Amino acid sequence: MTDSQTSSDAPSRLPVPRIAPSVAPSTNSHLEIDAVTKNFGPQEVLRGVTLSVAKGGTTAIVGPSGSGKTTLLRLIAGFEHPGAGSISLSGATVAGDGFWVPAHKRHVGYVAQDGALFPHLTVGQNVSFGLSASRLSGGRREVAARVSELLEMVSLDPSMAKRRPHQLSGGQQQRVALARALAREPELMLLDEPFSALDAGLRVATRRAVAKVLNEAGVTTILVTHDQAEALSFADQVAVMRGGRLAQIGNPFVVYTRPADRATAEFLGDAVILDAWMEGSLATCSLGGIPVRRPPAQGRVQVMLRPEQIRIAEDGPIRGVVVDTDYFGPETTVRLKLAVPPELAAGAAPDHRFPGGGEVITIRHWNASIARPGMELCLRVVGEAVAFPMDGNGQA
Amino acid sequence: MATDLAAPETSGSTTTAGRGKRPRPPFGVSAVSIIAVLIALLSLVPLGYVVVMTAATGWETAVRLIFRERVGELLLNTLLLMVLSVPLCVVLGVGGAWLVERTTLRGHKWWAVLLAAPLAIPAFVNSYAWVSAIPSLGGLWSGVLIATLSYFPLVYIPAAATLGRLDPAIEQSAASLGLGAWRTFFRVVLPQLRIAMTGGALLVALHLLAEYGAFAMIRFDTFTTAIMVQYQSTFNGAAGNMLASVLVFFCLILLVAEVRSRGTARYARIGSGAQARALRLPLHAYQVPAQLFIAGLTALAFGLPLTFVLRWIFAGGPGIWATDEFLPALLQTLGYGLAGALATTVVAFPMAYLAVRHPSWFSKALELSNYVTSSMPGIVVGLAFVTVSIRVAPEFYQTTVLLIAAYVLLFLPRALVNIRAGLAQAPKELDEAAQALGKPPLVSFIRVTLRLTAPAAAGGAALVFLAIVNELTATLLLSPNGTRTLATEFWSKSSEIDYAGAAPYALLMILISAPMTYLLFQQSKKVAGQ
Amino acid sequence: MKIRTNALAGIALAATAALGLAACGSGSSAPAATGSASATADAKPSGEITVYNAQHESLTKEWIDAFTAETGVKVTLRQGSDTEMSNQIIQEGAASPADVFLTENSPAMAQVENAGLFADVDKATIDQVPAEFRPSTGKWTGIAARSTVLVYDKAKLSEDQLPKSMLDLAKPEWKGKWAASPSGADFQAIVSALLELKGEAAAEEWLKGMKENFTAYKGNSTAMKAVNAGEVDAALIYHYYYYGDQAKTGENSKNVTPYYFKNQDPGAFVSVSGGGVLNSSKNAGAAQAFLKFITGKKGQEVLQKGTSFEYAIASDVPANEKLVPLTELQAPTVDPAKLNSEKVTELMTKAGLL
Repeated sequence: MTDSQTSSDAPSRLPVPRIAPSVAPSTNSHLEIDAVTKNFGPQEVLRGVTLSVAKGGTTAIVGPSGSGKTTLLRLIAGFEHPGAGSISLSGATVAGDGFWVPAHKRHVGYVAQDGALFPHLTVGQNVSFGLSASRLSGGRREVAARVSELLEMVSLDPSMAKRRPHQLSGGQQQRVALARALAREPELMLLDEPFSALDAGLRVATRRAVAKVLNEAGVTTILVTHDQAEALSFADQVAVMRGGRLAQIGNPFVVYTRPADRATAEFLGDAVILDAWMEGSLATCSLGGIPVRRPPAQGRVQVMLRPEQIRIAEDGPIRGVVVDTDYFGPETTVRLKLAVPPELAAGAAPDHRFPGGGEVITIRHWNASIARPGMELCLRVVGEAVAFPMDGNGQA
Repeated sequence: MATDLAAPETSGSTTTAGRGKRPRPPFGVSAVSIIAVLIALLSLVPLGYVVVMTAATGWETAVRLIFRERVGELLLNTLLLMVLSVPLCVVLGVGGAWLVERTTLRGHKWWAVLLAAPLAIPAFVNSYAWVSAIPSLGGLWSGVLIATLSYFPLVYIPAAATLGRLDPAIEQSAASLGLGAWRTFFRVVLPQLRIAMTGGALLVALHLLAEYGAFAMIRFDTFTTAIMVQYQSTFNGAAGNMLASVLVFFCLILLVAEVRSRGTARYARIGSGAQARALRLPLHAYQVPAQLFIAGLTALAFGLPLTFVLRWIFAGGPGIWATDEFLPALLQTLGYGLAGALATTVVAFPMAYLAVRHPSWFSKALELSNYVTSSMPGIVVGLAFVTVSIRVAPEFYQTTVLLIAAYVLLFLPRALVNIRAGLAQAPKELDEAAQALGKPPLVSFIRVTLRLTAPAAAGGAALVFLAIVNELTATLLLSPNGTRTLATEFWSKSSEIDYAGAAPYALLMILISAPMTYLLFQQSKKVAGQ
Repeated sequence: MKIRTNALAGIALAATAALGLAACGSGSSAPAATGSASATADAKPSGEITVYNAQHESLTKEWIDAFTAETGVKVTLRQGSDTEMSNQIIQEGAASPADVFLTENSPAMAQVENAGLFADVDKATIDQVPAEFRPSTGKWTGIAARSTVLVYDKAKLSEDQLPKSMLDLAKPEWKGKWAASPSGADFQAIVSALLELKGEAAAEEWLKGMKENFTAYKGNSTAMKAVNAGEVDAALIYHYYYYGDQAKTGENSKNVTPYYFKNQDPGAFVSVSGGGVLNSSKNAGAAQAFLKFITGKKGQEVLQKGTSFEYAIASDVPANEKLVPLTELQAPTVDPAKLNSEKVTELMTKAGLL
């Protein structure tokens, strides 16, 4: 599958919107990354990344580990020099084209994975660490007031200012790190997997709290994460990164429902991929005929459906036999072996137009008792499928 | 001599700093590298000296001087000493550590400290005390006795630190698999102690090779004592140099053994979460024998030397406190100790920084060159520096600068290991966080990295100080004219069997060493994550 | 954290102080540059000198204290052993910081003389010292003397069992019975006398027998202590270790009796301790004055009345009255300038004693 960089040169082949509708095109762009590359020795970590982030927007860079997303963030922060390309903040080039603005002059907030609180300082000293000398000259009282304000902003009790970082929980540490980064009132905030060290329940709550604070402060935010659910829920623009390139950029709904390629589809969530035959805007496969918006090709393709699009029906022509199930409480995943479509089952000669049959797929259902291994279920499909051409990573 | 008791642990912890995969273009790394390279080159002077001297002696003479009966005797002595003392040290060290850390030994907190205490008594003071107790002491078995009592804490300290930190879950699993307490110890606990044991054992072996005073006092000849005799007869004559090259050969073998034993096996780093307390095996009926064992060991290794030093102090009366000799020696010792500790720390920092923040074959090579030198006995470093300074750099000959440089080379690993551990506590993410908060690199380096490394660096400096206070051979060879340290004064008095006159110096060395030893003990626990 | 901070500050402070100290240390250790090289012996000595001292530190200190009190010249000591320092001076050559070299025995002096590094000793000094206690060349002078002695345990050896000659000690019947300190310059001087008197073959033969028979101790006092404790029957040492200990507590010599070899036997060798002024001395005036002082009346009286129990030899000062007079010792005649320390070290290394 071609990636978004090259496909942008051939928009006809990849009709996915490049900029999310909620983010206005780059007239008030805050951060511009232009064709940035980065090598570590022989290893190419970034192979030409172009990204625009609007003022006040929230962008999540998501990708598997080793995809280069943290390196990209470190380039923006000024911890690394780009190999080629340029980075500009609010219209001023900070790296590339012969320019270099070191990290401490970029006025960019940065929250590291584990918070990176200074262990030798109290919470209050951590938060006031970045306050400029002129602000400190306002006297201790003013600093203390500002620290209290910041701690309250991140929903921490100001009395915590006297504590040491190791006396705080992981979530509290992350919020202190955020308060510390906010103290200098940066216009751009970089978050490097800040929630990954937290356990599941805390992660969601902290993420919400952080998003709220940043939103209210109107800070442009870039979040790096390998957790697609986090990316989808946090950001209004999701940039999917793979192998040192941006595979797709768009709003969360679009990248989830209409991924640009199979790998992106599978990275962003469970996907049911089936061989299909495309005719017009209808793809025929083991689940019957499914409408496809903007088919990329005709003839043999692969279609992608999200498991939640496949429902259990009272009756119908499409059937599958339960292979096994996993009970998760609120939902049960059911693995089904699809029956051969009736068009083929009647002993007809093999027809190249009906490539499917007998695939094992996974669907979800709320009722565990409905599926037992060996049972036959009727299925129906809701909504549209996405089709991928057979070349690229949609190969058969 | 490398007293890197805590070394195995540190190597694991550095990984936390390396999340950025590769170095960013760092500030001043090239300057740091240059300093590090210069020091590494300087550190190769002793090795180069031995090689050049061997070459200069000529093949025929060298062969005649190396392959002679006397060298055979020394070889036998040295090997026997090692073969007997090292296992004894390991058994006593691990046994003591196990009793103190993993059994219900009463008063284990006190015993834990007391078992480390013999390290506060310099080996030659130990020898002096034993000779006072048993005047006829001499020969191999006396050497083994003194060596074992002086050096078993080198195994005990890392073993205790490791034992106290071992994950009890592993032993519980062993128990659930049907292993009894003894079999659990041998099949599960002991293998995990491997690094502590081999590291400690090699350290003991290096000390055995380098020690002069302790063995000279009980008339046990090793390579080092024989080199010293040659030195006293011929300054830096060919025969002494050839003995030195044989000794260096031994040290290098030990060094390779150490690097190998450490290279493949590493402790898994235990997470930061609260760890379950180590299990203690009930001693029941063995409580009394265990108490007797620990008490006996402590009495022999610590009680006896201390008693005899005090006995001589009382026997000598007030006359032995001749302040005009005593005070200058004390001040000079403190001065050398502090200057040496400071210099060593300053020198070690760039090396540790490179090793932790920018690990590469280059930084590894630099570190290795330092370990090579520090494995060289003081006598070899002393001989090398005397000769090189006379011939190449006469302006440094018999100066404090040269002596301090020798101390730096001899004791660099002590500082290096500690600073490395300290730097691992200050991952570069913190430095970056400070920069993202608007602090220029130098400011963030000072306020974060340097500040966080400081306690560990101070610990390392203390260890170097301790080593310098007790250093005898290099000091004898290199000290400026008119210099007297506690160690050299003690040595000259005890050589003339003025045991009472030597006692105040011995006592002072012990008093200075005691808090440092305690610090070392505490730090080994801290590095091990307790 | 607080405590650590304070400890850190303490260390930093202390280290700063140490640097100051160290700086002082190196300052005072620098070779004295005061005084002119061409100073004559008549000019009043001043400035500083450095003495490379292989003599007993306590004895030299007594000399220095008296000398400094009289002249105001500050003396820095470097302590070592005879041949260590002679070789060191030779390696240092013209750059040697030493002004004066004092030894316990003659061979090391001869070695430095042969290297051409000694200045002529002032005539006034030479005139104080009888000819038998100085080399004919006048490049250095004797400053004291000591006699070889066999100390033995009366309970173990009767008088008729004692050897007639030191050479007997290499015979099989003495196996395991005697001690010595072969690493010391004292013993090496005795061997050099043997070498000079009996020739290389005999010396080599004797050393071979010695290696078989003797027990090595480090230092003469330790060897004597071993005899006293009954570890060995006898020890070949110098006389003053016995008298020194007797004068103190006698703790290490109460079971010990000294036995002097007679008839100009190599074992009756009287070793001359030497002193000389280096050519390279930057304060030759003070250095010559120091040598003159220790061979003068006051210096020799330190030997006569002090606790060293070495023989006074010059300025007509008699030996300590507790000692057997030098004239009764029947010592062999040996020219101190001819004693060859390098050959001795070589032979002893070859015999496996070093």
